[in-house]
Amino acid sequence: MATVSAVTLRNALCQLQCRLTGVPQHAFGYVGLVSNYCQVRTKKQTKAQYKLEPDWFVNRKNRRQGKALTGDNEDFVQEVIGDTYRNQDSMLKEDPWPRQEYHRNTRRTGVVAIKLGVVPQWTKEGHKFFTTLLQVIDNHVIRYTPPEEFEKTSGWKPWWGQRFGSVVVGAMSSDPRNFSKAYNNLFTEAGVPPKKKLTRFLVTPDAAIQPGTPLTAMHFRAGDHVDVQAKTIDYGFQGVVKRWGMKGMPASHGVTKAHRKMGSTGGGGDKSGIWKGKKMPGHMGDKWRILKGLKIWRINTKYNVLYVQGPNIPGNTHGVVRIYDTILRYKRPAPDNHPPMPTWAEEDSQQGVELEYFDENLHVMSEASVSYSQ
Amino acid sequence: MEKKKYYSCHLRTHDRKWITVMALLAHVARGCSRIPKLQLEAALSVRFQSTLSHNDTKARRARELRPRRNYLLNDEVEQHRKSLLQQSPEVEEIPVQQAEANVPRDFRHVMPEFLPDPNPLYRDRVTEKLERMDMYRRRTCIDIPEFYVGSIMAVTMADHHAPGKQSRFVGICIQRSGTGLRADFTLRNVIDGQGVEVRFDMYGASLQKIEVLKLEQRLDDELFYLRDAAQEYSTIPFDFEPVPLPKGATVPVNSTKVKLNPRPWLERWERHELKGVEDLNLPEKKYRRARQVAKPWERWDLMKRQRESINEDEEESIMKETYMETESTRRARGRQKASLKKTR
Repeated sequence: MATVSAVTLRNALCQLQCRLTGVPQHAFGYVGLVSNYCQVRTKKQTKAQYKLEPDWFVNRKNRRQGKALTGDNEDFVQEVIGDTYRNQDSMLKEDPWPRQEYHRNTRRTGVVAIKLGVVPQWTKEGHKFFTTLLQVIDNHVIRYTPPEEFEKTSGWKPWWGQRFGSVVVGAMSSDPRNFSKAYNNLFTEAGVPPKKKLTRFLVTPDAAIQPGTPLTAMHFRAGDHVDVQAKTIDYGFQGVVKRWGMKGMPASHGVTKAHRKMGSTGGGGDKSGIWKGKKMPGHMGDKWRILKGLKIWRINTKYNVLYVQGPNIPGNTHGVVRIYDTILRYKRPAPDNHPPMPTWAEEDSQQGVELEYFDENLHVMSEASVSYSQ
Repeated sequence: MEKKKYYSCHLRTHDRKWITVMALLAHVARGCSRIPKLQLEAALSVRFQSTLSHNDTKARRARELRPRRNYLLNDEVEQHRKSLLQQSPEVEEIPVQQAEANVPRDFRHVMPEFLPDPNPLYRDRVTEKLERMDMYRRRTCIDIPEFYVGSIMAVTMADHHAPGKQSRFVGICIQRSGTGLRADFTLRNVIDGQGVEVRFDMYGASLQKIEVLKLEQRLDDELFYLRDAAQEYSTIPFDFEPVPLPKGATVPVNSTKVKLNPRPWLERWERHELKGVEDLNLPEKKYRRARQVAKPWERWDLMKRQRESINEDEEESIMKETYMETESTRRARGRQKASLKKTR
């Protein structure tokens, strides 16, 4: 007879989830109460075919028919747009926020990057490995919401409590004529051109960052570990062999029209039909996936490119990728050797910014070949 | 009056009824009867937020179900890199000397790995540029000479398990493939009666020395048929003396015709249009079948050629850059370039 001494809200909701979905309590993933990680065999769960945009999204598309401009007028308008944003300096409106200390549980903001491709690199031991190039294009902080205000918004989850504020980061400035007025208004606080991609990061209040702050690859250091989130390649509607790795059946020896089929759908009798979560053909890919604890081997400051461990970052070339400091405890930096807080500023590199930064174990191409001592 | 809000995200039923928090926790209470009621009511003091979307229309649902591209196109990415709205737009500067460089016509055959993989799904200008910069740097540290399939080469590489911590392998180059930093070549030799092939990463960090003992070309692009030929054709003594070429000579073509062993073979060589093998002496039906499966029109397939190559202007600019960057290393070694005329 197990007694529950203090019922927290989270516990109560977890237990409710168990009851309704049949997923055992230990199987819940970290991100949310509904986990994708184990097979669900229950009658009550339904799987949404689509996911609507959250209710805080504004209409982005510019519904007005833009008038066609002549060449000279078009050039003039572009010049005006450029001047407007160049002359705006939102950071001068307020004093810059004070830089705070890094603690064990600090979470800094992340960046939004584009996956460029995969190149091989070599360690100082001569061992070959693959790295993915991620380019940080034109990131700015759009908004910071402290924990007390963030708690009241609809994007907040109860288990975050008052630990985290939210930072909205935008990537890739674009022409404001392409977007609606409502969308463009989101960027007035930051004083930056409207961005093509927006995303949110959870930050602790000591990593609060001022809207309008630019973020570059220097936000990270060579040797840091990061978590990378991206949408997987969209394979469309796929059969079970590709989607779930089922073996299918032999190509010959009497097999009739069943070379790539599921085969059996389950047990009979008391097992009462096909269970929920049965692996079947369906849509494959286009899902957010996280890779944790990836090492940054190298940083190129001219192109703002990070060389991140591994050839397997989800998504196609030129897919959008979210990068932030890893949550893995033993790969996080020590407080005495911490990354720049809340992000890199010019005062952090008083000797000047080098073109490239390398991890200490990386073989730099301009050095002599690897040789082993006797 | 405080507006009632419902915690709803994961708990929608089929007919989309909203379950109140009290009912939810009561449900839990029914299941685990050990939670005291007072504690449940205390838990209700925390506020919940709604994630209901009032824009849940047919049009919205249809839009969400429609397939969308979740990556940017090459043009879009380039536009953003160079956009003047960016805080530091990328400005591509090509030095005048490079733009006006006079590159020998067949330079692309000397260093073919500098041209990128033509598959448009993987093309990216910055990736290719950064890879090439690494390759130029590597070439300042180690001499990666001009060689072709059929050349006899010796490679010294760092090896933990060898005496002197380095090992040297001599062989005939049977294949050269890969682009960028992934470029590799395979050397074949016969050691103690056993055919051995070793594939080396051309830009690998553990390669200490690459020597071309005999620079020559063969009649074919790949020499895999040596695996089905007599071992004499692949045996190269480890103390092979370098054969120097006279100054200003063309790369010689070795037109030996290799005699293959009797069948079975590893491949159906009659289907490969090999020029460097003797008459195969096969029954006529083999040649008949080879003619049936052959694709002679591919020689005239312009679209195929287009897909397997990159834009001519791009190729020219890359080759100019390569020529200028590697010029100093080529001069420093004091080698006279052999004339680069591809004689096949």
